[in-house]
Amino acid sequence: MDFNFTDDQEMLRDTVRKWVEKDYDFERRRATVKAGGFSRESWKGLADLGLTGLAVPEAQGGMGFGPVDAMVVMEELGRGLVLEPFAAVSLVAAHLLDAGRSPSAALWLEGIAQGKELVVLAQEERHSRYRLAHVETRAEHKGGNWQLNGTKTVVPAGGHAGAFIVSARTGGNVDDPAGVALFVVSRGEPGVEVKPYPTQDGAAAAELVLKGASGIELLPAGQALPALERAVDIGIAALCAEAVGAMDRLAALTVEYMNTRKQFGVPIATFQALRHRMADVKMQLELARSMSYFATLKLGEPANARRRALSQAKVQLGQSMRFVGQQCVQLHGGIGVTDEYAGSHYFKRLTVIEMTFGDTMFHLGEVSARMQDTAGVFA
Amino acid sequence: MDLNFTPDEQAFREKIHAWVKENLPREISDKVRNSIRLSRDDMQRWAKILGKNGWLGWGWPKEFGGPGWNAIQKHLFEEETALAGAPRVVPFGPVMVAPVIMAFGSPEQQRRFLPGIASGEVWWSQGYSEPGSGSDLASLKTRAERRGDFYIVNGQKTWTTLGQYGDWIFCLVRTSNEGKPQTGISFLLIDMKSPGITVRPIITMDGEHEVNEVWFDNVEVPADQLIGEENKGWTYAKHLLAHERTNIADVNRAKRELERVKRVAKGEGVYDDLRFRDEIARLEVDVVALEMMVLRVLSAEKSGKQSLDVAGLLKIRGSEIQQRYTELMMLAAGPSAVPLIKEAMEAGWQAEHAAAGAFVAPLAATYFNMRKTTIYGGSNEVQRNIVAQTVLGS
Repeated sequence: MDFNFTDDQEMLRDTVRKWVEKDYDFERRRATVKAGGFSRESWKGLADLGLTGLAVPEAQGGMGFGPVDAMVVMEELGRGLVLEPFAAVSLVAAHLLDAGRSPSAALWLEGIAQGKELVVLAQEERHSRYRLAHVETRAEHKGGNWQLNGTKTVVPAGGHAGAFIVSARTGGNVDDPAGVALFVVSRGEPGVEVKPYPTQDGAAAAELVLKGASGIELLPAGQALPALERAVDIGIAALCAEAVGAMDRLAALTVEYMNTRKQFGVPIATFQALRHRMADVKMQLELARSMSYFATLKLGEPANARRRALSQAKVQLGQSMRFVGQQCVQLHGGIGVTDEYAGSHYFKRLTVIEMTFGDTMFHLGEVSARMQDTAGVFA
Repeated sequence: MDLNFTPDEQAFREKIHAWVKENLPREISDKVRNSIRLSRDDMQRWAKILGKNGWLGWGWPKEFGGPGWNAIQKHLFEEETALAGAPRVVPFGPVMVAPVIMAFGSPEQQRRFLPGIASGEVWWSQGYSEPGSGSDLASLKTRAERRGDFYIVNGQKTWTTLGQYGDWIFCLVRTSNEGKPQTGISFLLIDMKSPGITVRPIITMDGEHEVNEVWFDNVEVPADQLIGEENKGWTYAKHLLAHERTNIADVNRAKRELERVKRVAKGEGVYDDLRFRDEIARLEVDVVALEMMVLRVLSAEKSGKQSLDVAGLLKIRGSEIQQRYTELMMLAAGPSAVPLIKEAMEAGWQAEHAAAGAFVAPLAATYFNMRKTTIYGGSNEVQRNIVAQTVLGS
């Protein structure tokens, strides 16, 4: 049992933090938000550090790093409120492409590692509400090709992706876990329509409309859903770490503000009502950090234990993000609700993280459904 | 980073597990598992079993006759005993006063007092709080005046847990009114059989006699029972608080009790009620998060690389969770928790009245009893003051 980071991991953290401080200050981020929420230049910056290939196997030109390294990077990207879809491309999509083991998937992986290609998972649908097996999009085998029909929603950086990993049904009714397969759909194919839009946190997303679009099968029904679940769990762990970084920074901003802002002739940090609130913020932050570690360290467990652990983590993070976000805005008073102030942007990102890969209520249901007689970290 | 214990640590755990299974009397663990009142004999019997094996002072270094375990081994010992249904060791002797005697007592005092603590023969109580000094402990007024080779002690202590069984009591007493309140306090060890000491019960809202008032009327205390220097007692007491560490979160007991919440909920037919199940799920997440926080502290202690200043957070969260699991168990029983059946707290009652809901009869009393946890050991509001000071830097 050991929660220390290795020297290499500390160096990795340092590298990402320095990049954020130097190349990703708040004004630059603001410009990216204005331009639609994605910057090719910033993405290149991440690629130049080797980060886009962080979890890509060395055979495909990546670094082949593990979950703890990913956690370290995500904490720092969270601290800097980085908009570019590192987790979506380099952790989640990269995992699925690697699981697919096809020659074309390997090519996409190489592209990701080089920072030339963005591939993202497109699994959410208008009515799926976080349920991975709830898939209306259909795939039909016609003349030796798979043709896909359906609409995927809130696809991260959809307008900038070269390809999409699409969950689609090859059989069964809308909720049947057995009939879900995964396909790679290239953006340039006929029948692929991408409708980009910004999200509440200033990032880029898109609707993906497929009308007879051709796709290459990445994982067949039966294999696809377990891989998809695992990829989403990797995504959840990444989001947990990102949230910890964001909350850590937001709490620090709030401490700074409380120590400088004066009312009634004294710093507001002297008021006990506010001090206790800050103690509660610290509590939620440390519980969240603890469960972020838990999420990452449980990724290697068998599916059932892993899913339960990741849901437990997302419940804690959901509660913490809501509390820390709302209270840090409150503690800032009027300035906290302005667009000008960085704090509100942290709050918005934390809010969107809660609604990605399952919100608190959804995961609480998962924890309930997967409950065992025993309890605790090793249950 | 690695979540798992090392093979050595795992082997250590198995050793403790086997020993506890062999040595913890079933009558005692049955009481613990069902919130049945433990007698003085029950508590002391378990203490002496541990003492005989050299484990009552499980946190002690080897030089004072302890096992010399590291932070993780201590945690594993606490976990295995708690999960097996062992009673909480009454902490005043082995956990609270012993470390102070080790750090600040004279060699003579160490020889005199530590063996009786280690064996479980001598029952210690704590004399800190006073009627006028709760959270503001440094305002305490119990006076000790030096006269020749004695201190003459006058005043009143209160909330003295299990003081009715105490052989000795360690007290914070005022020896000076000069300067800040903290600088006039001394740390005194007092024989509770001394003339002039009166112990009076305080009955708490659960109907139990757990805490007491202890009155001192011209009690003569030999001066060689002063720990360290006069007027330095506050420093020694703070050292003691620092020694409570992760223990205070009591996460191991929380794990055991969460399992019990599930059993009670199943027995009462609410486990499959989704609204109720979600409440258990919330508590389960809280317990896992608390355990992870405890493990982080242990890892930091083991490596000595970083310090993790979360003792206040552990106290707040641990006590909230203790209250929550007793609350949920009571709510699971619902109306069956309402009848006041005093005999239900006694061993042996259950077998006869099993059909009348014996299993759930003590749940409300336990819920009432646990309201103390957010008040004692520095109220949770005082803990928030301390946390805020660390976070805000002033």
